[in-house]
Amino acid sequence: MIIEIISLILLWFGIYYIVSLSLNMEFGYAGIPNFGKALSVLVGAIAVGGILDRLLILYFGVGGDFITGTTYATSMLNDLIASNPIVGIGILILAIILASILGFIVGAIFILPSAKLKEDYLGVTLLAISEAVFLICMYNLNIIGGYYGISTPDILAFVPGEYRGWAFTGIVLFIAFLVYLFFERLLNTPFGRVLRAMRENEDTVKAFGRDIMMLRIKTMAIGSAIGAIAGALYSLYTVNIIANAFTRVEWTFFPFLMVLLGGKGNNKGVALGVLCYVVVKVLLDVYKYNLKYTLNIPFEPVWLSYMLFGVLMLLILYYKPSGLIPEKPIITPPMKKKIMEISNK
Amino acid sequence: MEILRTENIVKYFGDFKALDGVSISVNKGDVTLIIGPNGSGKSTLINVITGFLKADEGKVYFENKDITNKEPSELYHHGIVRTFQTPQPLKEMTVLENLLIGEINPGERPLNALFYKKWIPKEEEMVEKAFKILEFLKLSHLYDRKAGELSGGQMKLVEIGRALMTNPKMIVMDEPIAGVAPGLAHDIFNHVLELKEKGITFLIVEHRLDIVLRYIDHLYVMFNGQIIAEGRGEEEIKKVLSDPKVVEIYIGE
Repeated sequence: MIIEIISLILLWFGIYYIVSLSLNMEFGYAGIPNFGKALSVLVGAIAVGGILDRLLILYFGVGGDFITGTTYATSMLNDLIASNPIVGIGILILAIILASILGFIVGAIFILPSAKLKEDYLGVTLLAISEAVFLICMYNLNIIGGYYGISTPDILAFVPGEYRGWAFTGIVLFIAFLVYLFFERLLNTPFGRVLRAMRENEDTVKAFGRDIMMLRIKTMAIGSAIGAIAGALYSLYTVNIIANAFTRVEWTFFPFLMVLLGGKGNNKGVALGVLCYVVVKVLLDVYKYNLKYTLNIPFEPVWLSYMLFGVLMLLILYYKPSGLIPEKPIITPPMKKKIMEISNK
Repeated sequence: MEILRTENIVKYFGDFKALDGVSISVNKGDVTLIIGPNGSGKSTLINVITGFLKADEGKVYFENKDITNKEPSELYHHGIVRTFQTPQPLKEMTVLENLLIGEINPGERPLNALFYKKWIPKEEEMVEKAFKILEFLKLSHLYDRKAGELSGGQMKLVEIGRALMTNPKMIVMDEPIAGVAPGLAHDIFNHVLELKEKGITFLIVEHRLDIVLRYIDHLYVMFNGQIIAEGRGEEEIKKVLSDPKVVEIYIGE
């Protein structure tokens, strides 16, 4: 039991860390209030369910309606993967590539309304766009199966059932680590600096020759590409997609809380924020009924994690607005060298 | 030689005519000052020149190129930079970072940022330059302080420093010494003079004529969105300042 809980915690940590790192670039660094973060995760599910599944249906020549088709096509593929692990890994890589390309394009388009909007309106607009796409995906069963759900390939069909969870957790953690390295490399640079400058004061950045809109488009394209990777991984992990799973609470508000809790603008801090929240969330999920009956909670225990969200959010914003590990200045190698020189004098 | 010229700039805010046919000419290497009471349109004029507001009529020429209503980010590439009436420091960033934003590094493109050799050489150059400028402004000891923790005067110096990072042709300053202690105010203008020696042109809006007068080459007086007097050189400036119209405005204030 304990082992399973740890595996679950690590898996959720990995997936949420990927989402939160991308949100940290968008919101923590660039100051874009991306209340539509869930959209990028949903796009990852669309890449797997809406595109990859359709390719499989075409490839295996499965007839009939889309939802049943995915069941047949994926089970055929799973047989293939069970005998040939390379196929499984290939499908994983293909899913990640599809998700990041689709995420990149959607992110770049998604931010265009910001050309005319100030910060608060922008946040609300992004939330509204994200919600609209979510509802369309939910009630139009032809995109990703909507509330009915579709099957996705089991990229680990070759792994015996009892180890699958751990194997998938390993993959997710490995990818999360790569994403972390990517963001550290990308942001400890003049790019990270100009994003922070944009967050601090747009007029100054404009007066010094930068095209704000272009910076936003790049930021959101990259951020959404990464968010979509998390969505794809999640869809592959659960071996099915149900549109209901991609709510704003799970994929926008929780990541915001994790970023704020850990320390916005600090990738290591965000790791801590994600870990803290995921541990509590998983434990609450696992033990919610024990809690309900021992403490006699007079409501459905599923609401506990939402309540925890609200309380934590208020506490952080009130008492520790810069998070557990506050942001540090960006010190590029040449800055470091010069600072050493000065302090040696 | 003329570097900047505006021709009959008109700017409305709703029905209010903030600028009513303003034509000025700024000579290369001069310190040109625009004075006038509150609401006379000085800030509006330089916001139009620097692209932060769009003119409803009229033209702006810089080095004989039409730059009317271009975006601020584009004007930067023509060699025009500006400071703001209320300092706009990047508060959560260090003084050094604030200066480095003054110049564009190829590493600001995400794809370049991933490869050190695409941006490190430029970064080294920029860091050297930033520290030289900090030394010139006597701010070296503050390089790692957050800009939001500085005094108002120091913030203004940081803004000037940032402008210097770009090797600009012209620096436009909106009230550079408003709210600054007289000692530091003279420091700021001594820096302006040193930079002028290097060939940089200044266009400045300022209230505090008492401090600024001795540093300027060219004076415009604005009132109700119009230029009402102009003088270049010590003699003419003196004449402008004893002009009854000008005196009335200033004493009226």
